[in-house]
Amino acid sequence: MSPASTPGPTQAPHALRHRRSARRLTTGQLADLRAAITATQRIGDDRGFQHWAGIHGLPLPISCVHHRELFLPWHRAYLYLFEKALQDHVPGVTLPWWDWTAEHAEGIPSAYSKRKANGRRNPLFDSPIQPSGRAVPSQTRTTRAPGAPGFLPSPGEVERVLKNRDFFTFQTQLESIHDGVHVWTGGTMADIATAAYDPLFWAHHSMIDRLWYLWQLRHPGAGVPAPLLDRALAPFPMTVRDTIEITQLGYDYAASTAAVKGPGHG
Amino acid sequence: MVERFTSDPIELPPADRPFQRSDLLFYGLDHSGASFEARVFMDPRGVGGEADSRHRAYVGSFFILGHGGCFGDVGHCDIPTDRDPFDLRPAHQLEPALRILTVTDAVRNLLERKVEAAKVTVTAHTAARTPSDVLAFERIRLATYA
Repeated sequence: MSPASTPGPTQAPHALRHRRSARRLTTGQLADLRAAITATQRIGDDRGFQHWAGIHGLPLPISCVHHRELFLPWHRAYLYLFEKALQDHVPGVTLPWWDWTAEHAEGIPSAYSKRKANGRRNPLFDSPIQPSGRAVPSQTRTTRAPGAPGFLPSPGEVERVLKNRDFFTFQTQLESIHDGVHVWTGGTMADIATAAYDPLFWAHHSMIDRLWYLWQLRHPGAGVPAPLLDRALAPFPMTVRDTIEITQLGYDYAASTAAVKGPGHG
Repeated sequence: MVERFTSDPIELPPADRPFQRSDLLFYGLDHSGASFEARVFMDPRGVGGEADSRHRAYVGSFFILGHGGCFGDVGHCDIPTDRDPFDLRPAHQLEPALRILTVTDAVRNLLERKVEAAKVTVTAHTAARTPSDVLAFERIRLATYA
């Protein structure tokens, strides 16, 4: 894996930001994520959490792409732009991924399942739902009703899907696994109209995006079919082509990261 | 919409023709309502009763994340039947879905039992207290790949 994106002729190389496993976030990384989510929850305009959650579902129009050929590219663009909104508040923060194949013992990662964090409400546990985003008027906050952890997808199931060489077959089978995790989580996550209001949605989709990335690495000659590449991903200012190479979007996936200072230039 | 469906017998590939993989494809799936798990069974006589994933005819599940109902005015969730070829707007949100379930081992097991055709039974399972009659699709195809 390249540690940095390929610089353009007039660009200095930029270090990629890493999306990390939600189970392996350091205390500081988790605090940054919570601070960024909290900051966007305080904004009522089109930079805020409620706005971004509403793009996926209610209020109308429901813009997400499900059960169609742009499922993976559309959600990659969606996560990228939401992550940018978070980084406007906490530079360098990234969306973690929830590896549901490895978490059969605990189900939802503790970063998202604890009601409180450091004595305060954990912004990853739940979220308010704006009045125009509710499927029913009483749905003021997100809820979950998770199944037994053993019913989450297994590594073997994911491995079988990753073996597909054809993009559409891979995407269709991955979307079924994705749908199953929504169903497993239950509550707000179990309906397209409200799913993105749950902070866990973003970690789940980060995992889906990661699996697409792993598939891309494994099948370098089997990408998105050419006729789709110039399709727009409304309402985002991006096409499918813009989503193909994640290092061009400035991020990469890592199980964990650690850094130490160098000698400097003094 | 139904909670359970059993197909007519679907022909299995000839036992003497080797294949690498076999998929069941479900075309035209509705996803307008509640989310659900669809458990799929293949058996020469079909599967009745409260069969679950431990049943010997169980071949796998697929999942549908549903829209959970219609939130627009009258007609909002009607899928247009005719589409202008110059209409560049995205497809309707409720255009039917496809699901592909890989059933290679199950088909091999049926062939070893000298089965030539099997009925496909699909049962829908939603969250507790949610009606399960959410199953609607147009066609099932069994495809094998050499």
